[in-house]
Amino acid sequence: MDSLDVSRGESRWRDAWPAVPTWCAGALALAALDGRVDLANLAMLLVLASALASLWLPAWAGAASGALAVLAFNWFLVPPRGTFAVDLRQHALLLVAMLVVNAIVATLMGNLRRQARSARRHAQRAEQLRAWGETLRDAEDPLAHAGSLQQLLSAASGDAVALLVLRDALPETPDEAAVLRVGTPDGDQAVGLWHCLRQGEPLGPGTGRHAGQPDWYLPMRGRGACLGAAVLRGHGLRPDDVLREHLQALCDQMGGALQRVRSQREEHRARELAQSQTLRNALLAAISHDYRTPLATIMGAASSLEAQGARMDAAQRERLARSIVEEATRLARMTDNTLQLARLDAPGVALRCDWESAEEIVGAVLAHARRQDAARRVRARLEPDLPLLWCDALLIAQLLDNLVDNALKYSPADAPVEMLVRREGERIVLAVRDRGPGVAPAWRERIFEVFQRGEETVQRRGAGVGLAVCRAIARAHGGELRLRPRSRGGASFECVLPLREPPAPPPGTEAAA
Amino acid sequence: MRVLLLEDDRELCRTLRDALTMEGYAVLTAASLAEANALLAHAREPLDLVLLDLGLPDGDGEQLLATLRRRESLPVLVLSARQAEGQKIRLLDAGADDYLVKPFGVAELLARMRVALRRRGTRVSAALTDYRRAAVHIDLHAQRVWRDGAPVHLTPTEFALLARLVRQAGQVVTHRQLLRDVWGAEFTEHTHYLRLYMGQLRAKLEDEPAEPRLLLTEPGVGYRLAEPDEDPGPLMPS
Repeated sequence: MDSLDVSRGESRWRDAWPAVPTWCAGALALAALDGRVDLANLAMLLVLASALASLWLPAWAGAASGALAVLAFNWFLVPPRGTFAVDLRQHALLLVAMLVVNAIVATLMGNLRRQARSARRHAQRAEQLRAWGETLRDAEDPLAHAGSLQQLLSAASGDAVALLVLRDALPETPDEAAVLRVGTPDGDQAVGLWHCLRQGEPLGPGTGRHAGQPDWYLPMRGRGACLGAAVLRGHGLRPDDVLREHLQALCDQMGGALQRVRSQREEHRARELAQSQTLRNALLAAISHDYRTPLATIMGAASSLEAQGARMDAAQRERLARSIVEEATRLARMTDNTLQLARLDAPGVALRCDWESAEEIVGAVLAHARRQDAARRVRARLEPDLPLLWCDALLIAQLLDNLVDNALKYSPADAPVEMLVRREGERIVLAVRDRGPGVAPAWRERIFEVFQRGEETVQRRGAGVGLAVCRAIARAHGGELRLRPRSRGGASFECVLPLREPPAPPPGTEAAA
Repeated sequence: MRVLLLEDDRELCRTLRDALTMEGYAVLTAASLAEANALLAHAREPLDLVLLDLGLPDGDGEQLLATLRRRESLPVLVLSARQAEGQKIRLLDAGADDYLVKPFGVAELLARMRVALRRRGTRVSAALTDYRRAAVHIDLHAQRVWRDGAPVHLTPTEFALLARLVRQAGQVVTHRQLLRDVWGAEFTEHTHYLRLYMGQLRAKLEDEPAEPRLLLTEPGVGYRLAEPDEDPGPLMPS
């Protein structure tokens, strides 16, 4: 199918060979029947052979060969034989009629064949367009099919083809990074391609634009935008408007597909933007809400100190001052978490990783928890001989600190809270376990989302950004934070971090001492 | 005791000044590095301590620290926001005495100031060579360590590390400083050496290594040896 359109010149003659045996057979038959039947019947035989030969020959060749045959007939068979002399009364009419009939038959056959060829070409081009459309319709990324388009155009035209396909928006100035290039256009052609891309119109002979160019430039047009261009090297020298329209249709199909994918992408982007906007608004609303509670306490305590402090006794003043300090600490933690979440959310966040000891991080978190709540029974248990962790110590400390704070907040005042560190194959697990009410199954995943919390009265776990930032920290380390209910009540939050090949120990043997 | 407080937030500056004044300190305040430089140049009486806020409008205080270090052994406490991690550590490496992360309590600030001032006193006279806290006794001269009265055997590296912390007891010592002073300048990136040796020291000196009382960790910054029990330094504010 692909080779059909190329068959303009040589192959027409290749297909014409049956004309030769036809003429030979005709000549033999004439020679054989000469003298047995009269001249008029022989003439019919020649007309038949000529008509048959015209089936394969182009119109002019059929007519010419017919004329030659009539001349030969005249020479060999029409008396006086061996001359072109014609008895005007007897044979002139016969010969002229033969010539005319031959010419008419050859012309009719030629036209018929041309029409059939053109119909066949149309059908094949239509099929080509359909198949190409099919290919593009299901294409996730039409760019990947640019090579196929080049082959299609090249096969249909017989020319060398180069393409320029936009990856995204049209850049202000020609920019190779913004396009996919297929084939190797020369300097002029590259400029022409960009020009065509920008104009969105076909250029070259027959197009009415830049008709002096030897090449055809065809745009890949979508709705109201041009998304690529093709150059057919030298094709403009043999203008063929029908072919150009076909090639243009192929290009426009590509343009349409590119546009479809582009609008899908834009739609997706717009939706994401809207979503993140919604999320941001929810976040801001929730942050303000969360900040309001400690702020209200601070405001109340501080203003009553201001207005009534002189009339209070020392114990009252101290109680108010302590609640201000406590709520301010809570605000500080919330601010830390929110900032950290925003930082971890940004693309390309850099962690300050180093070799860290789990024991030290746990120790620091424990010290902090004791400062906040000396009475509570926070305990730490670490497996002996734990490997060093490659992590950002401050972040992991923040993670554990949040989990411990949560555990203390959501479990009875006398219930123990445990920090547990153990190795699990090539991973290390840092768990914070409590004996609180646990988390309802429906909330086990949602509490990690920003500003999700259990129903206010029943469950108040995962308030604000605390658990969301914990999970973000774990994931930034290539790990995960998960929640496991405990068999005899309570929750276990487990941060799983991957282990790395440990660094070389310090030289010398004293490490073992 | 004269303290220079470098803080550009007016409210915080006033609150801290009042709190310090109540403790008997004479407080000079500056809101920018330029102002601080002018104050230092024209101060009639010598200062005893500088509280340096990071993120001043005209710079991060590194240059000021260098000036102060050249002039005298004036203790410098860095007040930093949580996000200014790298900057804070750079200043500590460059010789700032200690740091506090905002928001901090006044009690915490006073404790840090007390340690810094005492250390200044010892720097002038004799350095602390005899450290006692709870059941642990460290004698740097004799190079001996006791726990509950029983001698503890330390390897030379362990002892060197411990001694470095004793010399700055109560104050944070950064990873880089420890590695440089104990192992050498080419080892300042080998943080895992510290993890190993601190673990060993804790196993030998702490009752509960996972909850140390002596060898405290400042995540991401360094280590702090808890303040010794006795308080021999000159504490009375002038």
